[in-house]
Amino acid sequence: MGRNAEAAIIVAASMLAGFGVALVNFAKGGSVDAQVGLTFMVFAVAFGTLHFSMRAFAPRATPLLVPPVVALVALGFFQIYRLEPSRAGLQRWWLLIACAVASLTLALLSRGTTSILRRYRNLMLVVSTALLLLPNLPSDWGFPLRGLEVNGSRLWIVLDLGVTAMQFQPAELAKLGLVIFFAAYLADHQKALREAHRRLGPIRLPEPRQLIPLVLAWGGSIFILVWQRDLGASLLLFAGFVLLLYAATGSAGYLAAGGMMTVSGAAAAAYLFDHVQRRVTAWLEPFQHYADEGYQIAQGLFALGTGSLSGAGPGLGRPDLIPNASTDFIFAAVGEELGFAGTVAVLAVYSLVMAVGFGISFRSRDTFRKLLAAGLTFVLAVQVFLIVGGVLRIVPLTGITLPFMSYGGSALVGNLVLVALLVQISHEEAT
Amino acid sequence: MNGPIRRIAAGMFLAMFVLLGGLTWYQVVRADELRDDPRNPRPALAERGKERGLIVTADGTVVARSIIDPTDPRSFVREYPEGETFAHLVGYSSFLVGTNGLERAYASDLRSRRDLTISDIVAAILGRDLRPNSIEITVDPDLQRAAFQALGANRGAVVALDPATGAVLALVSTPSYDPSVLLGDDAAEQWEQLLTTPSQPARDRATQELYAPGSTFKTVVAAAALDTGAAVPGTTFADPAEFQLPGSEATIANANELPCNDGQSATMLQAFVRSCNTIFADLSIQIGAADIGITAEAIGFNRDIGFEWEVPEAVWDTGALANDAAALGQSGIGERDVRVTPLHMAMIAAAVANDGIAVSPHAVGRVFDADGNTVEEIEPAELGRAMTSETADILTQMMERVVTEGTGTGAAVPGVRVAGKTGTATGTGEFSNPWFIGFAPVDNPTIALAVFIEGSEVSGESASGGSFAAPIASELIEVWLAS
Repeated sequence: MGRNAEAAIIVAASMLAGFGVALVNFAKGGSVDAQVGLTFMVFAVAFGTLHFSMRAFAPRATPLLVPPVVALVALGFFQIYRLEPSRAGLQRWWLLIACAVASLTLALLSRGTTSILRRYRNLMLVVSTALLLLPNLPSDWGFPLRGLEVNGSRLWIVLDLGVTAMQFQPAELAKLGLVIFFAAYLADHQKALREAHRRLGPIRLPEPRQLIPLVLAWGGSIFILVWQRDLGASLLLFAGFVLLLYAATGSAGYLAAGGMMTVSGAAAAAYLFDHVQRRVTAWLEPFQHYADEGYQIAQGLFALGTGSLSGAGPGLGRPDLIPNASTDFIFAAVGEELGFAGTVAVLAVYSLVMAVGFGISFRSRDTFRKLLAAGLTFVLAVQVFLIVGGVLRIVPLTGITLPFMSYGGSALVGNLVLVALLVQISHEEAT
Repeated sequence: MNGPIRRIAAGMFLAMFVLLGGLTWYQVVRADELRDDPRNPRPALAERGKERGLIVTADGTVVARSIIDPTDPRSFVREYPEGETFAHLVGYSSFLVGTNGLERAYASDLRSRRDLTISDIVAAILGRDLRPNSIEITVDPDLQRAAFQALGANRGAVVALDPATGAVLALVSTPSYDPSVLLGDDAAEQWEQLLTTPSQPARDRATQELYAPGSTFKTVVAAAALDTGAAVPGTTFADPAEFQLPGSEATIANANELPCNDGQSATMLQAFVRSCNTIFADLSIQIGAADIGITAEAIGFNRDIGFEWEVPEAVWDTGALANDAAALGQSGIGERDVRVTPLHMAMIAAAVANDGIAVSPHAVGRVFDADGNTVEEIEPAELGRAMTSETADILTQMMERVVTEGTGTGAAVPGVRVAGKTGTATGTGEFSNPWFIGFAPVDNPTIALAVFIEGSEVSGESASGGSFAAPIASELIEVWLAS
């Protein structure tokens, strides 16, 4: 498949967004209006920019990655338009910004290679940590950059410029910086981390000193959980690190140790923290706690069940009954209106994105790029599993949003930059 | 390094299959259960604003229809032009408190199929009509209104049936309510108010409540006596002022606390016509619980009698009564644990009128499409033979005597031969529940009915079946035969 086929699919996927908006209009008794054309135009311009940036800066990159991403953004967008029409306009602006930032990433990296990122790994760590800490800034001081507490979690910063205020979740970018740092750190130290295990009978144990990075990462995750009350980011970053550690070393002991640390940390958190406790209750017994904790999950399941095989149709279900449908529960909203057919299609498209991501990693010869591509794909896949699994009661809800589909500007920017990094690696590793 | 990454990738694709499994579980396996969960408002909300079919009587009286919403021309609102008169039969279709009555029983016909679901779109492409079907009910609107008026402020129910077909001619429960109050945004509060009103207007006394039938149950006992040969109308019984229940301190007396006849002996016919408890308690014990049970079950006790919706099963507990003669004596006069709905008692009267064959009651005559073409004709469904033809004949004569010279003279209609049986059952507190069941005209019955009053301050303490329920029956038979 070449670049022209890629362009054609991007145009088709952009039309899907406009078509979805039109269907929602019909369902509400409206007709084809400016929203339909505007949506198509914004998609075409945003992803067109990204596409032409790829032609210019990463011509040998795989053409398989961006089209499925556009399809996911399009499906998510018409659901956002259906649920919160007033926010859809803002989301369109964020899509333009996100594609611009992704294109800029490609342009900047084309001057050198992604190896620059490896060289600046410590800077990545410092910047990412600073970004993670930003929401803990006071929310009431005179400085225009402030922290913001939403639903008991400290994830947001507000840039208040007087005339206009902008909200952002810095963790969405920090997670990219941290994956870059992990990949670079592990590429540099993989030999040391792989060798010199202690043996205890048939079991190989890592040297205590080799466990230091693992313990540090765990400490960082606990910090996020306790001070920012962000269960999702905490779990995501730790999982990403442990998986990369295993990828770099091949030592299953790290997986086992990381798994045990996750379980013990989660158990302790469930025991100690009220906000984690409530999520566990909602996970285990949503219908018994229908009036309070369980309401959101129960409504999500009602939405999925009512949607059944073919769904109510775009704009014809009632996904608006689910609290936070456009962010955490957009998957259930899709399930109600597009049915099992729609949700299976969404999972299939995510699987395609994952397959392309892993393929880029497999074909990479450079250790850093191999680990970076793998790490970025892990982060995407773990997010999909955590939120879809949360909606389906396979794991507790963690407050993570569905990549590319959920409402939210910061996440869209972060995830499209992630795509740009994968695109750039595939370009550099192409022969 | 590709090895571990490949293993992680494999694990992640496996995780995607776990998600797929979860989706299958909730969207396929448990989908119907989740959709129909009473806490899930989606199915009812989806119906809101949609056109529903008509509910009309055979003569064209509209009892439920959808009209274009005056505030939103793209939407429909439901209207119940007959209001509380038809409330319990027609029911309601409310997006907040659910559906009930025929609106519920015929929901799949009455609902619009313009849902834009894929199957509906396919149906539209294939040229199928997506407009809702309508239903035609068998009720006679004049009789229905007359029954509602006759019950007045009383708590009670009237059910009138066509004896040959089981078609409902009137079905009223009072006090009633206007179903249209359940259609608005404040439906939940209105519903709560109905539930907290002491007279319980939302309760369907005609088909959903079981009551002790009192002496109207003597028709079943008499049928059992005639069927088994335990007694004929002329069979004589001892005639004490009080019947001593065997193995018990308790006695059974007649309503006037006097012997049935002359204090020496009385016939079954006399006992039936004067509704003597003493002799029917005696007779019941002589017939036995099992043989009364056979007749009772033939006439629908302890089983589903078949109706548009589920009716609670009438109770005759042969097992418990077989070894308890005292309880059997009390049950034989329709007290103790014998329970039945007014709808069912009307069906019993209809079975006597219909030569002993019980026919399941039904209120819907046919389903027709938007062009008026019949989609489905509802055929009478026989429940079975309740008693021999001969027994039905004799019982009819006995019931006619009740109206000409017995406790049921209040049901008499000039120039019409009416058959019936009164009952005055134990109610709550100091109030008794008056009953009357019967049919007319005797030589060619066209109406069988049950009148039930739930005793309350409205009916007063002295209300008996003869003084209170029989006159209502008389009035309704007159209205029916005049039309």
